[in-house]
Amino acid sequence: MLLPSFTYHRPGGLAEALAMLDGFGGQAKLLAGGTDLLVNMKHGKQAPAQLIDLDGLAELKASGSRGDALELGAGLKAAAIAGGLGGAAPQALAQGAGALGSPQVRNRASLGGNLVTARPAADMCVPLLALGARVALVSPAGERQVDLPEFFLGPGLTALHPSEVLTRVLLAKPRPGEGSGYGKLGLRKALEIPLVNVAAWLALEADGKTIKEARVALGAAAPTPMLSPGAAKALAGATAGDDAFAAAAFAAAADARPIDDHRGSAEYRRDMVAALTKRCLGQALAQARGN
Amino acid sequence: MSAHILKLKVNGREYQALVSANHTLAQVLRENLGLTGTKQGCQVGDCGSCTVLLDGEPVNSCLVLGVQAESREVLTIEGLAEGNKLHPLQDSFVRAGAIQCGFCSPGMILSAKALLERKPSPGLDDIRQGLAGNLCRCTGYQKIVEAVMQASHRMSGEASS
Ligand SMILES: Cc1cc2nc3c(=O)[nH]c(=O)nc-3n(C[C@H](O)[C@H](O)[C@H](O)COP(=O)(O)OP(=O)(O)OC[C@H]3O[C@@H](n4cnc5c(N)ncnc54)[C@H](O)[C@@H]3O)c2cc1C
Ligand code: FES
Ligand code: FES
Repeated sequence: MLLPSFTYHRPGGLAEALAMLDGFGGQAKLLAGGTDLLVNMKHGKQAPAQLIDLDGLAELKASGSRGDALELGAGLKAAAIAGGLGGAAPQALAQGAGALGSPQVRNRASLGGNLVTARPAADMCVPLLALGARVALVSPAGERQVDLPEFFLGPGLTALHPSEVLTRVLLAKPRPGEGSGYGKLGLRKALEIPLVNVAAWLALEADGKTIKEARVALGAAAPTPMLSPGAAKALAGATAGDDAFAAAAFAAAADARPIDDHRGSAEYRRDMVAALTKRCLGQALAQARGN
Repeated sequence: MSAHILKLKVNGREYQALVSANHTLAQVLRENLGLTGTKQGCQVGDCGSCTVLLDGEPVNSCLVLGVQAESREVLTIEGLAEGNKLHPLQDSFVRAGAIQCGFCSPGMILSAKALLERKPSPGLDDIRQGLAGNLCRCTGYQKIVEAVMQASHRMSGEASS
């Protein structure tokens, strides 16, 4: 399986990459880890004339906090995020990154590539949705920030313009009394796009019992990763625990619009959405109480 | 189409080659450098037979462009033995019967090497997870896991003696 031919460019920095992207006007594709793009090119699904390699850009690999925000560079590898980024990575995101592909894939796969590929059950997209993340999109005209629910438009379809680079993911810095969790169900344990995946995030009131706010994100339950409005509603103001989690699981399953295919029926997927929702909320609560 | 002069270090030795942009690292290793120990199976990241260590980390060389290895260090299976002396992992694979057809072995051994560098005394689950990106159609994996375990004991023994 050979790659189609193309011209390869290695920009020295983000500014140069943006200028190249602009200059090639739609002929070019950005290359990060290549674990989606090169596979698509080998399968003949994509044949860009120009490839602009972002992989070496240190500017895209930084992570750090700015005020209350945590910023993660789009070039960070799944392996680094799974390793926790020195304690900075929220639990659900680290779990998602650790469940992606195999060790070899995680050493190449980038955060930005996972978001831009926008598979409905991508392992980093679903946790980031639950964590309330935004993305920074930079073009020669400047930067704009987009919330993830507005970024994901369909399978493989996002709000990224052809002249833009996704440079950073922005999150609220985890605080005491907050926690998150991630669960994935596949037909096997590695190298698998999930059949269903769920991520949950919750914040407790000062009493340590009442849920102030929560988000439950579902993957493979719709054409894009989606938030469950029903689960968020069932959880807000409720006492954290089995009853509230069961109500949220029921609501999440009702919000899910999964498909029937050879890998699993819609009914089975819906049941698994409920089971994973409960499990992720349990993990989130344990973390919120442990903090 | 572009061609590039690629400089990289493979198994401790500097190489320079003229490569097309669309040639993968696996192709460059096999075709330009003659290092055919790196195998190509699925070619799309699923099987791990093309695993090499890129700056110490296992990657599927079928999904890395040759030009992306510019100025970097690659370790292939050819770089493990010292003269006629097999690396403890290679020797354990042979002794434990972890090699049948041998197609998966270079990739398995390199994934195992990266694992042992990170975790010199891994548990069974660590080994299974460390090798999760490498498929074997012959052995049923059990003997491979045993071989990595044996190698880890031998290597930590050597390190402490
Ligand atoms: C064997 C295998 C197993 C896999 N398993 C999983 C899995 O379990 N879960 C999962 O979620 N995914 C999986 N994947 C898919 C893939 O690894 C991930 O989606 C990965 O995060 C993609 O990142 P990348 O850096 O390799 O992207 P690339 O392939 O380099 O790029 C993907 C797309 O994003 C664009 N892009 C990349 N970076 C940027 C940026 N900074 N700004 C704008 N556009 C950008 C590219 O132009 C391209 O269109 C698997 C892939 C393989 C080959
Ligand atoms: S040949 Fe590279 S992973 Fe199969
Ligand atoms: S020994 Fe034949 S594939 Fe593993």
